[in-house]
Amino acid sequence: MESRSAIQIDALSKTYRQRDGTPIQAVRNLSLSVPVGQVFGFLGPNGAGKTTTIKMICCLVKPTSGNVRVNGHDVWRRRSAAIRQIGAVLEGTRNVHWPLSAWDNLIYFGHLKGLWGKELTTRAEQLLRELELWDRRKDLVRTYSRGMQQKVAIACALIADPPIVLLDEPTLGLDVQAARTVKELVGRLAREQGKTVVLTTHQLDMAQELCDRVAIISKGRIIANQPVEELLDLFSEEYYQIKVKGYLPAEVTSRFDGLTIEEENGNTILSGPIADQNALHDILGRLHDLALPLLSASRAEPDLEEIFVRMLDTDGAREEG
Amino acid sequence: MKTALVTLLGEIRKNLLISWTYRANMLVSTFTIGFVFVGIGFLMGQGELNPDQLASMFLGYLAWFYTLAAIGDLSWGLRGEMNAGTLEQMSMSPTPIGLVLMGRVFANLMLSTAQILVQGCVFFLLLGIRIPMRWEGIPVLAVTLVGVFGFGFLIAGATLVFKQFESFANLMQNALLFLNGTILPIDVMPGWLAGIGKTLPSTQGIIVLRQVVLDGQSLVAAWQDGSLVWLVVHSAIYLAVGWLVFGYCERVAKVQGSLGQY
Repeated sequence: MESRSAIQIDALSKTYRQRDGTPIQAVRNLSLSVPVGQVFGFLGPNGAGKTTTIKMICCLVKPTSGNVRVNGHDVWRRRSAAIRQIGAVLEGTRNVHWPLSAWDNLIYFGHLKGLWGKELTTRAEQLLRELELWDRRKDLVRTYSRGMQQKVAIACALIADPPIVLLDEPTLGLDVQAARTVKELVGRLAREQGKTVVLTTHQLDMAQELCDRVAIISKGRIIANQPVEELLDLFSEEYYQIKVKGYLPAEVTSRFDGLTIEEENGNTILSGPIADQNALHDILGRLHDLALPLLSASRAEPDLEEIFVRMLDTDGAREEG
Repeated sequence: MKTALVTLLGEIRKNLLISWTYRANMLVSTFTIGFVFVGIGFLMGQGELNPDQLASMFLGYLAWFYTLAAIGDLSWGLRGEMNAGTLEQMSMSPTPIGLVLMGRVFANLMLSTAQILVQGCVFFLLLGIRIPMRWEGIPVLAVTLVGVFGFGFLIAGATLVFKQFESFANLMQNALLFLNGTILPIDVMPGWLAGIGKTLPSTQGIIVLRQVVLDGQSLVAAWQDGSLVWLVVHSAIYLAVGWLVFGYCERVAKVQGSLGQY
């Protein structure tokens, strides 16, 4: 049975016009469906069209063509109903008022969503306690650390308890600890509260850990849209890791194009896609010629980062071809 | 309806709280702008501060001050929200953004009134300005402010669409002081300049305000001589045009994707 879609995007395109009239196609004929209750990773390099797509879902940017439905509501035809389904933290901006306290921000954003009275204050208290901001709720947000400010932004996005949460680069500019806190929070939103989360991030380890499904977008087009496990399986057959003792001389690294070379505790690890057994033996022969003792050679699971890079490379090569 | 009302009140509360955070800046600006009035009064009185002349000027200054605050808040203030990303968050309210901004306008009105009251008290005490307390001035000021805030919405719309429009708005704030009859009555200006002056948002309000408050004209008389009618029409046009232009610019901003960009 097909699962219900929290977000349904059909043939969505967006073309911006520069001052001289030159068109820039930010999103091209994009269609996808985000199932209810899943964490959906929306990945892509800078300028790929992720933020434009997120903003079109939020009714902040008008599509050139196509449409978006959130929980069945068309965002342009039934804006008010659609917008009630969504909470969002957008990329690269404060999202909240720094000259206000965390408490006042939550009350304000609650009012914006039409909440008031006891319902609003109870929800605000619950969120601030959950995010460990309660003790500093009366302090101005501008006095907070970057991580705390981001937590306030997330709390404000959640104030009306929306079923869908859009997080555009929520860990951008955060230190390791703050990023981990946000990551744990995103995990809790989906696993414990059953929310649908759309996440864009450059932290692919985070996406791999949190997402049920991932779409990769490049130059405005979707080039992959699969459950994370299926995506990882795509290349696992031909992905190897070879470990040799000693270091690879710099002048010969070009002989191992396409492999990632890392040095670790006096050893060298070469990893990446190798087409077949003949190519594997050829590489092992080259390492033997360099008199580097083989420690191990094994088929390895590529991570999401590797898949991401390969997909983009493949897409780039296809475009050039 | 309930959502819109709650949002409106929330927006007023937010703006008042932010102003409270910046209360020292606000107090300083109250007096800085007050000095503009005193300075111009000094120049117009050729080195003297004439209380009768200042009383007439104060009514013009009053209308200009509200215009100054409305333009500033709906250009620089809105730009600040765009840069902070809070305008996009505001646009994600079920209530249309224009109505949310009405809350901003009401907050601005309250704050400007508080500032003008402080200034007025200082001017009355230190400069000996005396203005007759005539209730008829209140509805005239209210109608004037409708036009002023309609003009503010026009500025807000342009700020959403045009980059750095707030610099132009700044120019307009200052130009209005000289063109809306605050300092020089419109009828002593050259014809073409008087023509421009008459179309500005606070000009007709200043004329009627002076007639009603200083000359003791009744509202009925002001209506019968057409000056109040023209003020009502003038303000209604500004409100309607401001509202329509803002709605149009909001749609353009969503096409351009400029709600959250500088």
